[in-house]
Amino acid sequence: MAPAGGFDSMMAAIQGGANSVYFGIDQLNMRARATMNFTLDDLPEISRICREHNVRSYITLNTIIYDHDLPRAKAIIHTAKENGITAIIASDQAVISYAHSVGMEVHISTQLNVTNFETVKFYSHFADTIVLSRELSLVQVKKITDAIKVEKVKGPSGRLVEIEIFVHGALCMAVSGKCYLSLHTQNSSANRGACVQNCRRKYKVIDQEDGHEFAIENEYIMSAKDLCTIDFLDDVLESGVSVLKIEGRGKGPEYVKTAAQCYREAADAYFTGTYTKERAAEWKYRLENVYNRGFWSGYYLGQKLGEWNDTAGSKARLRKIYLGKGSNYFDKIGVAEFLIESYSLQKGDQILITGPTTGVIEAVVEELHTDKGPVEKAEKGQYCSIKTDTPVRRNDKLYKLVAADK
Amino acid sequence: MITVTLQRDKCIGCNYCREHAPQRFTMSKKDGKAVLLNSVEKRGFFVARVHDDELDSLQNAAAACPVKIIRLSGY
Repeated sequence: MAPAGGFDSMMAAIQGGANSVYFGIDQLNMRARATMNFTLDDLPEISRICREHNVRSYITLNTIIYDHDLPRAKAIIHTAKENGITAIIASDQAVISYAHSVGMEVHISTQLNVTNFETVKFYSHFADTIVLSRELSLVQVKKITDAIKVEKVKGPSGRLVEIEIFVHGALCMAVSGKCYLSLHTQNSSANRGACVQNCRRKYKVIDQEDGHEFAIENEYIMSAKDLCTIDFLDDVLESGVSVLKIEGRGKGPEYVKTAAQCYREAADAYFTGTYTKERAAEWKYRLENVYNRGFWSGYYLGQKLGEWNDTAGSKARLRKIYLGKGSNYFDKIGVAEFLIESYSLQKGDQILITGPTTGVIEAVVEELHTDKGPVEKAEKGQYCSIKTDTPVRRNDKLYKLVAADK
Repeated sequence: MITVTLQRDKCIGCNYCREHAPQRFTMSKKDGKAVLLNSVEKRGFFVARVHDDELDSLQNAAAACPVKIIRLSGY
């Protein structure tokens, strides 16, 4: 299951081989601040794309809900049902109960911090899938999935309740959904999807009596590293979970595609008996190319608390530089034309093309043409054309990928 | 007179402005976002001209807004 912050990421998730995508509508989701949330009017199109690619679609409607939000929440559930969206991911009881009452499939959000079997049983009256708390160990997860089978705990659909866990992406330094830092400092509630991510900043420790500042090894005192389970995905799958969830609705389409691809390949490999630690290392290498704050295994292996990141942003091995946008595509010869708006493009450059229909294309420039014929380099302001295997659309974005330290 | 501006599309519906200045803000039943009462829309920005006696409550509302979309001018 992969995140879709926009149409480009949704296509990227599909290309990466995700079975399902999740996304937010308007402000009632955990990324309310993001500018890229979908609106109700996008639902028919989202539904069409997902049906066409045989991918399930889930709406996150998992903030705290006030009375004034109820009409909107209900409208979202109704429109979702009308458009054949698969399920609603919910945490507020109002949303759970309403969606259930109109026959909409409900999934329990990680915001509810389900940490034990009895709670799973409780929510199985309403929900077919439950996302467990990210703070459990795999041993605890397995206990829950075993108990579901033994006691035959079924959801409203009549099937055994499915357990879903996060396998990749950012972690909350607090128990998810129980952090009030953003609310205290900026009035901006994380539980209304408006987290300002105080935990990602640097901090000082000052002795209030004499004003001395303590030297601390890492000033990012509470910025958790990102979760990555690819190197023990065999253990994850043996814990009996049915759905692997990737975090990152705020991240770029290239991240979504790479993460979906790696976990798809790893899961397939596990089920065909070809998952090895060597291959896991390769997948991890690929995951390190896209946005990450450094990796750790989260709490799944029951390790010591918290591994902290020590930089402001991403530790990705590659960095993308915006070059320009698609201006034409010549179908018959499979050539895309771009207008270079900044920097320059050279033969041999590794490029990335993203767009709402295109999703993500990664390629290496083997031939480069301008109106002067074949060239080595295209400069800012020039139109240039490149061969691509798949069609590129007007206004698709062209980036070049360079090593992050260059 | 004070000019109040609300950049409504960015509202996350937290209800703070309504708590501080109920005379000027209400929450929409339709989309759950704040509504600036007696305002006119100019390209997505809602603007109202109001009396100075509302200043305190509007300043509190603007300060409390988590997405900083309430602007005051002309006082």
